[in-house]
Amino acid sequence: MPSNEVIQGLGLDDYKFGFVTDSEPVFKTRPGLDAEVVRQISARKDEPEWMLKRRLKALRIYEAKPMPQWGGDLSELEETLSRTYFYAKPQEQMERSWDDVPESIKQTFERLGIPEAERKILAGVGAQYDSEMVYHSLKEEWESKGVIFDSIEDGLKNHPELFRKHFGTVIPAADNKFAALNSAVWSGGSFVYIPPGVQLETPLQAYFRVNQERLGQFERTLIIAGEGSRAHYIEGCTAPVYSTDSFHSGVIEIVVNRDAYFRYTTIQNWSNNMYNLVTQRALVQQGAHMEWLDGNLGSKLTMKYPSCFLMGAGAHGEILSIAYAGDGQHQDTGGKVIHVAPNTTSSIVSKSISKGTGRASYRGLCKVYDGARNARSNVECDALLINETSRTDTFPYIEIDEKTATVGHEATVSKVGDEQLFYLMSRGMDEAEAMALIVRGFIEPIAKELPLEYAVELNRLIELEMEGSVG
Amino acid sequence: MSQVAAVRGDARRVIGREAVREAGAGDPGWLRARREEAWEVYAATPLPSTRSEEWRYTDVAKLLPLDGLEPAGGGAVRGTALPHPLRRAMAQDRESAGRVVEVDGRVVSVELDDSLAAQGVVLSSLHEAARRGVGDIEALLATRAVPASDGKFSALNAALWSDGVFLYIPRGVRAEQTIRLSRWVSRPGTATFTRILIVAEEHSRLSFVDEILSPDFDSATLASTVAELFSRGGAQVQYVSLQRMGRGGVYLANQRTLAERDSTLDTLNVALGGTVGRVDLNARLLGPGANSDMLGLYFGDANQHLDFNTSQDHVAPNAHSDLLYKGALDGRARGVFRGITRVHEGAQGTDAYQTNRNLILSDEAIATSLPNLEIEADDVRCSHGATVGQLDAEALFYLMSRGLGREQAERLVVLGFLGEVLSRLPLGGVVEKVTQAIEAKLGYV
Repeated sequence: MPSNEVIQGLGLDDYKFGFVTDSEPVFKTRPGLDAEVVRQISARKDEPEWMLKRRLKALRIYEAKPMPQWGGDLSELEETLSRTYFYAKPQEQMERSWDDVPESIKQTFERLGIPEAERKILAGVGAQYDSEMVYHSLKEEWESKGVIFDSIEDGLKNHPELFRKHFGTVIPAADNKFAALNSAVWSGGSFVYIPPGVQLETPLQAYFRVNQERLGQFERTLIIAGEGSRAHYIEGCTAPVYSTDSFHSGVIEIVVNRDAYFRYTTIQNWSNNMYNLVTQRALVQQGAHMEWLDGNLGSKLTMKYPSCFLMGAGAHGEILSIAYAGDGQHQDTGGKVIHVAPNTTSSIVSKSISKGTGRASYRGLCKVYDGARNARSNVECDALLINETSRTDTFPYIEIDEKTATVGHEATVSKVGDEQLFYLMSRGMDEAEAMALIVRGFIEPIAKELPLEYAVELNRLIELEMEGSVG
Repeated sequence: MSQVAAVRGDARRVIGREAVREAGAGDPGWLRARREEAWEVYAATPLPSTRSEEWRYTDVAKLLPLDGLEPAGGGAVRGTALPHPLRRAMAQDRESAGRVVEVDGRVVSVELDDSLAAQGVVLSSLHEAARRGVGDIEALLATRAVPASDGKFSALNAALWSDGVFLYIPRGVRAEQTIRLSRWVSRPGTATFTRILIVAEEHSRLSFVDEILSPDFDSATLASTVAELFSRGGAQVQYVSLQRMGRGGVYLANQRTLAERDSTLDTLNVALGGTVGRVDLNARLLGPGANSDMLGLYFGDANQHLDFNTSQDHVAPNAHSDLLYKGALDGRARGVFRGITRVHEGAQGTDAYQTNRNLILSDEAIATSLPNLEIEADDVRCSHGATVGQLDAEALFYLMSRGLGREQAERLVVLGFLGEVLSRLPLGGVVEKVTQAIEAKLGYV
């Protein structure tokens, strides 16, 4: 058993993003949630009537649905939500140049390395601060090809037909309690449209920062990938460490049209006082290819199961999930693949590490409907336990209504073995190096899929959180 | 039959307080009280709904009209001639060291090898054993293993059981041949409640096969079975359940195995018959070195609904459990497997494995598999796996290239697939009997 100092030395638990920025929102709703708060949000956004109606209907659905009794411990959530600010507007308008973003907010993103990454390797960047996007830009090259990368609010304003056609169709408000909540109070997030045939060579990135104490962040993202298009979207999240709990509940809807390829990467690194309850789903059409790369490192409790609905023949869905649960953290994550059409294929690979009193749970669904002939799916879960007090669970659901389907699920749980450590140390490594090597080797199959070369900020995160500085 | 009784105006017996009193008539006071308490638990416990995780895929309210059932076992069994299918099944059994025969919830005969009886082995009707207060029966019946508090159906059985088996095997005694329970349910629309209590003292050894048969019924007919199995230090116990009820049969079983230090407590559940089958099996590994192999085999066709809910509780360190459930599903059958491995805090050195494999043979069959793990210790080796697939095309092709017809080849592949389970617990007579039953079912493919 490696000593605790050695594990500390890996730097897995050093949270480098917990600083607070001294900035006041220009407007915020009073704590708690009711129809009046929803009306205020809608009014501030100057929304059409249909959207307000939708929000109010979603609020009723949210209020009617019971709190989930599965997954993580939500017993204190109601209390947390009663004193949460559901909307805090950081500045009067979204900017297209960092120079126009208020100095304190700009500094925050400088510290997180966003403008630097943008200059170097991103096709476009969105930066959300509390409830709204403060900055959004897209490189001219892509704009001229008809790519839309905007805040969700501007998506509604500037592309009302496209927006209304898809909004809430992938994840309706009634899908689950938190999707309903998001549908009532959503604010911020991205609207993305990739025209048919356009292939983005570098990723789009959205960065989510919560600064205000006791804030609820409800970003809403709608992505439409046109036929034969290709793109990669990266989402990163951090927040200061407060003594009170915060709340984040996003809804991400993606339509991947025929023969398109879309990859959505999340590096969730919220502070350990954050509830993170997110619904992410993609509709994948004929011959299209969807990948979720889901890294969950932070938060107090995350419940998130990115989904691929394989709607068209030959569609492919892939979910790579990696979770790190440190002291007091519960990562309840996984993925869902739903095979509706013939010859669809999917794979879920999940890797987790539990350390200290951390708990990592894999929860997933593989469903094959009657008629999805020759569907193939494979699920693999690996869990690594570091301490005696660490905990891991695996809860897969496999529902097969189709004779010609081939489905497999495998999971293993192991601890960092004394034998492995001993072997490496006998080869001249010290304990810290050996431990780091084992952990790195465990995560590597997923870490190598991350576009490290594209995002300086991501790179930094992965270095700090996973690979760690040895000794 | 029940309709005839109603027309004649007889007071038809129903599941209720009166039936609990009738079931307990002549019982000692502790047992009557235990039945009453169990009834209270039953009455206070809501019927499991599909909203509960453990019953998600089995809508018991729809599948089992409890209110309409008549509790069996109330009166003496008339006539001594055993029904032909039961006699045939008994004749198929090879050597036995003892046998209990139960018809419609009443034990009609008990035989035990003289040499085992001389060594202190007790094989008895449970009803008789409870009445006479044999051994630890008061301390062990519906208490530590399957108490009423376990759930709605455990409570109902604890309140209404009419008979069953008590088997006690003293320290160091080894029964080399199998002891059997052969059961028959004859009356449609009835509910039969049977219990099995087996205590294997230190370093003893036994194998037990519980087989249930019935004709086809045109209305739902319940056979509820509770099995409480104790293996003390170093004992070796094998328990096999062969469920071969006819159509209309609803088989509900609650089984719990308590394996103490260095003992082996293996189970095999074979589900071939009935319209609805639901087995709840919990294996508890209570002492270091304890071992449980948990095997299951199911083959559903027509509208059969076969559901297994298993759990492996590693309470003590350095214990081992290995589960393998395999099923083939034809027609419109549905197979459900939900398994959970729980490694409790402090159960270091656990080895726990869990595998569920399904073969879908028709367009309308459905397989659902939920293999779960909950691990609260770090020094463990645990894995689980689940697969759902169709007949192996390569194996079929190979067999057909050797001159077999398609149907024959399919039969062989299914038999080979399911046979793996039997080969892991090759008890006298079981393999042949189950193989024949599978072959008979495959005849309809």
